[in-house]
Amino acid sequence: MVSFAALPPRRPPRLYRTARAFARLSAVVLVLLLVFLGTVAYSASELVRQSPQTGGFSAGLAANGTMAVTGAVSVSNPGFYPVGGFSMSLRISNGSGAYLGTVTTASVDLVPGGVTTVPVALYLPITSGGPAESLLVSDQYLVVGVWGNATYAYLFPISVHAEENRSWGAPFSNLRVGVGTPTLVNGSVSVPVTVSFTNHASFAEVGTLSLVVRDAGGATCGSASFPLDVVPGAYYYSTQPVLLSSGCSVSGGTAVVTFSGPAGTIVLPPQAIP
Amino acid sequence: MSVAVPAGFLPSYHRIPSLGYRILAGAARLVLLLIALVGVPAASLAYLDSLGISLPVPIPTVVAAGVAIAVLSTVRAIARPTRAYGPLSVATSAVTIAYLLVLRLASPYRLAAPSHSLAISVGYATFLDLVLLVPALALVSGIVTTVEDARSPGERLPYDYPA
Repeated sequence: MVSFAALPPRRPPRLYRTARAFARLSAVVLVLLLVFLGTVAYSASELVRQSPQTGGFSAGLAANGTMAVTGAVSVSNPGFYPVGGFSMSLRISNGSGAYLGTVTTASVDLVPGGVTTVPVALYLPITSGGPAESLLVSDQYLVVGVWGNATYAYLFPISVHAEENRSWGAPFSNLRVGVGTPTLVNGSVSVPVTVSFTNHASFAEVGTLSLVVRDAGGATCGSASFPLDVVPGAYYYSTQPVLLSSGCSVSGGTAVVTFSGPAGTIVLPPQAIP
Repeated sequence: MSVAVPAGFLPSYHRIPSLGYRILAGAARLVLLLIALVGVPAASLAYLDSLGISLPVPIPTVVAAGVAIAVLSTVRAIARPTRAYGPLSVATSAVTIAYLLVLRLASPYRLAAPSHSLAISVGYATFLDLVLLVPALALVSGIVTTVEDARSPGERLPYDYPA
């Protein structure tokens, strides 16, 4: 005969309880991670749908001999998780690969359910002889590289790199300086100098174009001034007489053209005189 | 007060499902596991591959690891009433940990769309570190069960399969 006194104890043995505790903890962690992953995936899909708004970008001549490209990028984060340490770098080079300029935005946190606007201001030095000087007179394609870095949902570091070609319209596109036949006026030699270009930029050029004619040795022969008010897309063509210094020959010389506007003074690439 | 029962009618305090039933339930489990661990990931990777997008891990790796984990997990479930349960739990967890470590090596995943000059890099190593907790805890559980089965065979059966 056997008695029911041999019933197993109500409380499971210690090893069994230990094993069960680890197994249950493992299951709980798994469920939590699956829920987390699911919400992260949902939030990420919502975030991707809200592509960054990059409207309001404009280019213009700025002080200190620079071309300024300014604007703002608005990023909406409709998900459940923050986007931490969001920063963006913009690098511009010309078609031949020459580096023109770069800008890096400050690092910001995109809070869940919020919209964050990141200002961007890129200044391209267009000083004489610099690689960005051609932006003034030559239409071209610019290679714009964008790098973005952030950490999504605390755990996922993300970096994005995109590159695209953007057409650039030069404000003094196809700048030409032509010198006519010298004539004798009141004992002085005068030459008609013609300046022409097309404003392919997105902004109007209002100011003065000063022109200095130099001989082959670099000595100043004469100067002229052209008032400007050229709207975007307009063709400019104007001729002014330039009185030459005594004994000065412009043949083989150069014309140095300077634009003075509200933002400052910019020296355009020197133009050779045939 | 104690109640006596005749010899030969020893009271059983657990009810272990028959082997046939366990195999049937294991087969159903195997199908679900294969879908989750092999079918869905392999199909997703094949879709990315068809778009010309580089894959974080080769499809054969995913298939082999998924099949191994699914089969081990199923055999473990079938063998739960036996002393093989603990070692099989350890084996399943170890293979899972090895698989997760292989996936971790592929982090960050660089996704480059061939037709666009766009590249995205996503790091998931920290997340996988947390995921590794799951098989690590299960591994400890398996080791403890192995020890328990070695010390007191059948001790856990009344609690795993209460009558």
